[in-house]
Amino acid sequence: MKKDNIAGISYPKLFFFLLLTLTLITLPGCWNRRELDTLAIVAGAAIDKIPGEEKIRITAQVINPSAMQSPQTGEMSAGAKEYVNFSETGTTVFEVARKITTFSSRKLYWPHNQVLILSEDICKHGISHWIDFFIRDHETRLRVKVLVSEGEARSILEKEAALEKLPAREIGEIVDGLASTSIAPQTTLRDFLCRMLEDSGAPVAPLISLKEKEGKKETQISGTAVFKRTRLVGTLDPFESRGFLFITGKVQSGIILIKCPGSEDLSSLEIINAGSETVPLIKDGKLSVTVKITEEGNLGCQMCGSDLTKPQTWQLLEEKQNKAILAEAMSSVKKAQELRADIFGFGEAFHRKYPLKWNGLKENWDEHFANLEVNIEVESHLRRSGQISLPPHHESRYYKENHL
Amino acid sequence: MFRFFFRKFNYLTGLFKTKKPPKHENSGETEGTDDLKFHRSLKRNLSLLKSTLGESCDLILREFSFGTEPEIYAALIFIDGLVDKAMINESILQPLLYDTRLAGVDQEFSLAGMKAISRRMLAAGEVKLTDKPDKAISHILAGDSLLLVDKDSQALIINLRGWKARSVEDPKTESVVRGPREGFTETLLTNTAMLRRKLKEPGLRIESFVIGKRTRTDVALVYLQEIVKPGLVEEIRQRLRRIDTDSILESGYIEEFIEDHPFSLFATIGNSEKPDTVAAKILEGRAAILIDGTPFVLTVPMLFIENFQSAEDYYSRPYFSSLVRMLRFLSFFISIMAPAVYVALNTFHQELLPTPLLITMASAHEGVPFPSVVEAIGMVVVFEILREAGIRLPRPVGQAISIVGALVIGEAAVSAGLVGAPMVIVVSLMAISSFVVPAQLDAGVVIRLILTVLAGFMGALGISIGLLFILIHLCSLSSFGYPYLSPLSPFSPGGLKDVFVRVPFWAMSKRPYRLSRHDGLRQKPDLMPLKASSKE
Repeated sequence: MKKDNIAGISYPKLFFFLLLTLTLITLPGCWNRRELDTLAIVAGAAIDKIPGEEKIRITAQVINPSAMQSPQTGEMSAGAKEYVNFSETGTTVFEVARKITTFSSRKLYWPHNQVLILSEDICKHGISHWIDFFIRDHETRLRVKVLVSEGEARSILEKEAALEKLPAREIGEIVDGLASTSIAPQTTLRDFLCRMLEDSGAPVAPLISLKEKEGKKETQISGTAVFKRTRLVGTLDPFESRGFLFITGKVQSGIILIKCPGSEDLSSLEIINAGSETVPLIKDGKLSVTVKITEEGNLGCQMCGSDLTKPQTWQLLEEKQNKAILAEAMSSVKKAQELRADIFGFGEAFHRKYPLKWNGLKENWDEHFANLEVNIEVESHLRRSGQISLPPHHESRYYKENHL
Repeated sequence: MFRFFFRKFNYLTGLFKTKKPPKHENSGETEGTDDLKFHRSLKRNLSLLKSTLGESCDLILREFSFGTEPEIYAALIFIDGLVDKAMINESILQPLLYDTRLAGVDQEFSLAGMKAISRRMLAAGEVKLTDKPDKAISHILAGDSLLLVDKDSQALIINLRGWKARSVEDPKTESVVRGPREGFTETLLTNTAMLRRKLKEPGLRIESFVIGKRTRTDVALVYLQEIVKPGLVEEIRQRLRRIDTDSILESGYIEEFIEDHPFSLFATIGNSEKPDTVAAKILEGRAAILIDGTPFVLTVPMLFIENFQSAEDYYSRPYFSSLVRMLRFLSFFISIMAPAVYVALNTFHQELLPTPLLITMASAHEGVPFPSVVEAIGMVVVFEILREAGIRLPRPVGQAISIVGALVIGEAAVSAGLVGAPMVIVVSLMAISSFVVPAQLDAGVVIRLILTVLAGFMGALGISIGLLFILIHLCSLSSFGYPYLSPLSPFSPGGLKDVFVRVPFWAMSKRPYRLSRHDGLRQKPDLMPLKASSKE
């Protein structure tokens, strides 16, 4: 047998093969072996501003795995909390994150971070340099949910969770739950960043606050925080927020309250399906935008005793629904124009439709936006009345009830 | 690659030893007796046999005489325990001792010699004439009886074999729910008969070899003349004839002498205990090698996908068979990768896990004193020990092992905090999966350990490097010249009918994988059952 091959592979081929193997091992990059018990898994983070100083305080909510054991397998370590909040102050985020290692036995591990809560204070001063770390670092994720807190951000993370073990997780679930009310946008860091970097950038984030209810404090979403570029300029209340979501086509579900036809009693309609279309127009040098909102809903609950499923009343209901949606949308446009913050992305719509004219528009887009003519057309339908058509308290029933 | 190291190793050992040309112990002895013939004198013949076979207690030399005038001296030689004694009395001794005296033997008869004896007097089915003592001896040792007559240099070999043999039973390694329950036994002739019963075609060829200088094991090469590719049979013959060893005790011996890739982790020669499986493989154009003394029959060539096929796939409905086929592929991957993936996720890719799962895993790993890779390898090794102990121990003690295994490993180790509970689950899953593809059990054990170590060093990257190497290796394998990974690589669409799915029989008109000669057509191509035609 000739000696210039090994098991049928010639030496040059073998050399090439080994070279490929070597590159396979060395080229892919980061190599970092760490056991699970050396990680401080961050579930949530809050950034506060220290008043009067150019300093921030970061609070990281870290999972304590030994307290998370289910009672069947391991003994619950009595009194141990499922999480620990580490706080530290400093001038840059990364520095603070590392400083936490000086008093925590484990290194912060960011990929599973659910929420990033920014305090109102810090947002008013501009946040781009505070979120830089969360965009740049390889461990942090752009899918983290961004929230703005009314008041101190840390206290929101510190409020005990009711159903979940971790407050951060509960806040994350609350943000997910916004899909059923649509009273604030669901904003990830990526969404926030995308809007911020647009020419007409006005990102939004849900506003979260601690509310006193019957002596107990509850974390609650209370509307939308409106940014202009990187600064917080104002807020939308839930009513305006949903109007804003209708215009941007992001409403998933929610309840619309309207008065029953011919009565002062209310009915609530459930939004099943909603969408929108934005058509920008430049005519004779005048800018206008037409927003077409389409919506489908169901009758969810009625307080009045009349039969709403009659074709005439049904049509009346649909008209009232139209008006309600229009009112919500208009209020949000009004508020946004007051704040001179193009949260709807109308600027981008113009940019896409009139790419050449946009260059002239973008310089003072805020001015253009504030004076923009916004036409809103709503086309909404009611589809179903639930499992019944007549209410149990229908006028024809022999009993009469006096509700309130 | 292994060949390379092996050669280097041989070179190194060669440095310390002066090389001698290999010499076979037996070669001198056989040369002397090769052209030796029986003498006309019975006494000389008997002393020759005695000197060769020695004073063994199971060697029986019965000297007697038959006929009246003249009285003829004769001797019957056989090994006690290998012959059916009642039959010997009935078919040899009785006719010769009584019948010849009753009838009277005439002069003509005694002159005619052995041929006449065998033709007229012996009531045995298989009788051969020989004049070579070495041939006679090997027949005696195989269980035949030898009849020597004075003044005659011919001897009669009479086949009246009969010994205690295990009866045909359920095969232990390949049990089925539906399908034949018979399995091969240790007796070669029983086994060939079982194949004959399945394949009643005249073209079924059973070629006989005797391998092993000292064990003189009978080996049979079985194939269907019309189906098998001629080159394959010639190749097997050559490889079998090359074997010059002193003992063949099991099919494994032969397997290692004739396989294409002696250093590979993967078996490139299949084996089975079931006649129906072997018959099916012969029908696909393979050849079977039956070895006396073992119920395991070798089939060549073997393809990788045969590991994932089971006899029952062909007896149950195609949908179910196909699903089970895919489950087997999945199980194979689980069995080689489960601990490795767990280690990789645990030490490198925590970000890939959903948060709740990460929390569960983290809390389970809390307080475990070892790194995950040590934990995993430890558990895998413990499982292998338990498995081995379970097989080798006498059955009554074997029960204790499973209790100790379940209690100590499953319960105590977790509650003592030595091992995380998810690790126990992963290893159990791996263990159960590994039994789904039993044919590659031994390859799986090694691959699993290698992948786990690689995962411990490099995470998912290590696993992919390991799998890539295995894939490259598999692609380079062949079995008797057939690519091991076919029909996947080289790709042949026709073969895919019996890989990940098993299509109905009427859709498999051709034999798969181009193993057979000609066009491989095995049935009419339009055999799909028709709807009941209208009654005429």
